[in-house]
Amino acid sequence: MAEALLEIRGLAKAFGALRATDGVDLDVREGETHAVIGPNGAGKTTLISQLSGNLLPDAGRIRFAGEDITTLPAPARSHKGLARSFQITSIYREFTALDNVALAVQAHAGHSFRFWRPARAERRLREPARAILEEVGLGARADVTAANLAHGEQRQLEIAMALASRPRLMLLDEPVAGMGIDESQRMIRFLAGLKGQRTIILVEHDMDAVFTLADRISVLVYGRIIASGTPEEIRANPEVRSAYLGEEAAG
Amino acid sequence: MTALVLEQALNGLQFGVMLFLLAAGLTLVFGIMNLVNLAHGSLYMVGAYLWVAGMQWTGSYLLGVLIALAGTLVVGMVVEVVALRTLYERDHLDQVLATFGLILFFNELIAILWGRSALYAALPGWLRGHIDLFGGAVYPVYRAAVIAVGLAVAGALWYVVARTRLGMLIRAGASNRTMVAALGVNIRLLYTIVFGFGAALAGLAGLMAGPIYAVQPGMGELILIQVFVVIVIGGIGSIRGAFLGALIVGMVDTMGRAFLKPMLGTVVSPTVADAAGPAIASMLIYLLMAVVLAVRPEGLLPARGS
Amino acid sequence: MRLPPRTIALCAALACLAAVPPLAALLDQPFYLDLFRRIMIFAIAAISLNLILGYGGMVSFGHAAYLGIGGYAVGILAFHGVHSGWLQWGLAIGGSALVAAAIGAVSIRTSGIYFIMITLAFTQMLYYLGISLEAYGGDDGMRLAARSDFSGLIDLADPWSFYYFVLAIMTAFIYITHRIVNSRFGMVIRAARSNEPRTRAIGFSPYPYRLAAFTIAGAMCGVAGALLVNHTVYLTPEFMHWTRSGEILFMVILGGMATSAGPVLGAVALLILEDLLTGWTQHWQLYLGLLLVLSVVFFRRGLAGLLPGSRDDG
Repeated sequence: MAEALLEIRGLAKAFGALRATDGVDLDVREGETHAVIGPNGAGKTTLISQLSGNLLPDAGRIRFAGEDITTLPAPARSHKGLARSFQITSIYREFTALDNVALAVQAHAGHSFRFWRPARAERRLREPARAILEEVGLGARADVTAANLAHGEQRQLEIAMALASRPRLMLLDEPVAGMGIDESQRMIRFLAGLKGQRTIILVEHDMDAVFTLADRISVLVYGRIIASGTPEEIRANPEVRSAYLGEEAAG
Repeated sequence: MTALVLEQALNGLQFGVMLFLLAAGLTLVFGIMNLVNLAHGSLYMVGAYLWVAGMQWTGSYLLGVLIALAGTLVVGMVVEVVALRTLYERDHLDQVLATFGLILFFNELIAILWGRSALYAALPGWLRGHIDLFGGAVYPVYRAAVIAVGLAVAGALWYVVARTRLGMLIRAGASNRTMVAALGVNIRLLYTIVFGFGAALAGLAGLMAGPIYAVQPGMGELILIQVFVVIVIGGIGSIRGAFLGALIVGMVDTMGRAFLKPMLGTVVSPTVADAAGPAIASMLIYLLMAVVLAVRPEGLLPARGS
Repeated sequence: MRLPPRTIALCAALACLAAVPPLAALLDQPFYLDLFRRIMIFAIAAISLNLILGYGGMVSFGHAAYLGIGGYAVGILAFHGVHSGWLQWGLAIGGSALVAAAIGAVSIRTSGIYFIMITLAFTQMLYYLGISLEAYGGDDGMRLAARSDFSGLIDLADPWSFYYFVLAIMTAFIYITHRIVNSRFGMVIRAARSNEPRTRAIGFSPYPYRLAAFTIAGAMCGVAGALLVNHTVYLTPEFMHWTRSGEILFMVILGGMATSAGPVLGAVALLILEDLLTGWTQHWQLYLGLLLVLSVVFFRRGLAGLLPGSRDDG
């Protein structure tokens, strides 16, 4: 069997007495869409942050494409092929949507120690950025200042910026958080279209999204993975049902 | 020779203790209220001036001290209520500029009230003279008293912060303001008290500095920048860091100024040592700061959770 | 081509500045030529600080250091008989760049209040160094032996030539800064200021870019220092006093950060204000200090923010 694209072994992170990540082992295969679900406070964002390089783990190892990236800084991980979208929208509010994505493109389009030529005139940056915005459905809003975008559009922008680096692995932290029904349906359809082309780790509360998109699901409770398997296996798992899905099924 | 070294070491300790008083106030205010206060040096200056004025008015050293401490406390709290409250929510840049304006204001106010020349006031008899140390050295009573008072305050400060309810509130407020407020603690009052306390510490340093250093407008900023070095080396938000940093800076600066030139003179020519010695000695603590920054940017004893 | 209001205002300001020498001659008030030349020199310093502060979010309280380095480079060489402007200014720029790179290398790893205190401390260090240089006047400073000699191209002893020289440099720096902040490099700097975690997530490590910006800003301010010493014909450690750093900082804020016109407006406003206050009372710092506090509390976006189209300059 081929080596997994992402291997996590014994990952641990504590904040004082709180063990946010308490010995996580996980394998994610290339091309797979892997959802991480769990109750609030389970440590999902902490896990994602350690994968993206925003947080350093206390213990454990992370291997990506066979390489140990446990302590690699976030910018370097981006260049290895990881990309991340944030749970709490994190965009450049004073720049336009196009500027936002163009910056993400710029990071992977040669060096940026260029001091004279206006970046906004570079077709090499603007055209791919426009294309990505079209893909996620923001094509018409490319020249709007990011702060003036609707919440749902800002979430789309998050995804667009993650796509801009043409990553092998995307870490999506609650991509449809705060979106209305129509918007989330659109986003889920879009993400479904990415399946297979990219490897995705998806942290989500929205069970609709999870069961539509996920090839496999891992359930995180109090920093530990209590179950991992196909959506059917997870649905049937009694531990999971009591710990988590029981609440969701009602809501 | 040992007498000289001992004397300078004690001077270094005395300077360090004064730096600590200032650093503790500044770091408390920053740690709890997230406020950069460049005008902290002005409070030090106010302390010194109020002491001189108090001495001249009452003729008593202790009354002068009392007036200085109480006066600085009051001035501090007034400044906090009138000018600084609006700055808590602002970013550090705004705080820097506003408190920079306060510095100009205070320096000029002092100059209007007392003129620009340095002031002097005589020490009472019981603080003059020397005490005998071993090795045949003698040390001024006053400086020894400064060291004693400074260390006592350091100890008291540690006790308050680590062992009392107020200290617990202070530490809690530092890590989670909104929570402390939600618990029903009057945050505004707490802030004013903390600021007043920091001001009193600065005033104490100022009145102790009076007889040793020149009392004149702008005296606060000269020492303030050295206090910054202390905080950077020690770690911001940390009283223990301020203590360690202050001792290190005090020692390095004092010993450096005293011994660098003669030490240099043993390896290079006297003319070079004459020129380079004082220059390097004045830069020593900043070079030390640069080294600490390069090796351990968060400081030697940073506050937990920073 | 429709120009935004800000650009029009800037061009108007430049035109007014260009008109000062003939106007001053007409009114027989050479003082104004001196005043505005000084304003423009500080505007250059403010422009350089705006690059790292306004666009880069780096609150440097030590920018006056480069005025000193630039000034001392010219002054020390002149003292030793080297009057070539090319060499002097080369040293001013190169020396400032080198020191900025060194200070930046250790400082930029920190941020926020640390960065403020550290830059302040390093400037103070240079100030003390200046004071201890007895050979070059120490505390009191010394006269500049002779103005920089640019092989006859510009005569800095002629007030008009010197004035337009400064104006030309200032205009050039405004343009250069404009190009830099809109280039790839500038976008990274601005992005890092706007949202640092996001910037790291997309693949930029801010440190090298910030260090480069810091160095460039230092070098630009070194030019201001070289100009200043030629203007005052006197060299003193006061160039590097930390209150001077505060003044330049205030010019940038007052004028409006991250705008092309801001530093110029700020320099004009602050220095004219100082000039008026000094003429009125010897205790002008009292009022200036008060004004500073009030303007920070009430006046969030600076003078340039008063112009229509108030947005990040792009």
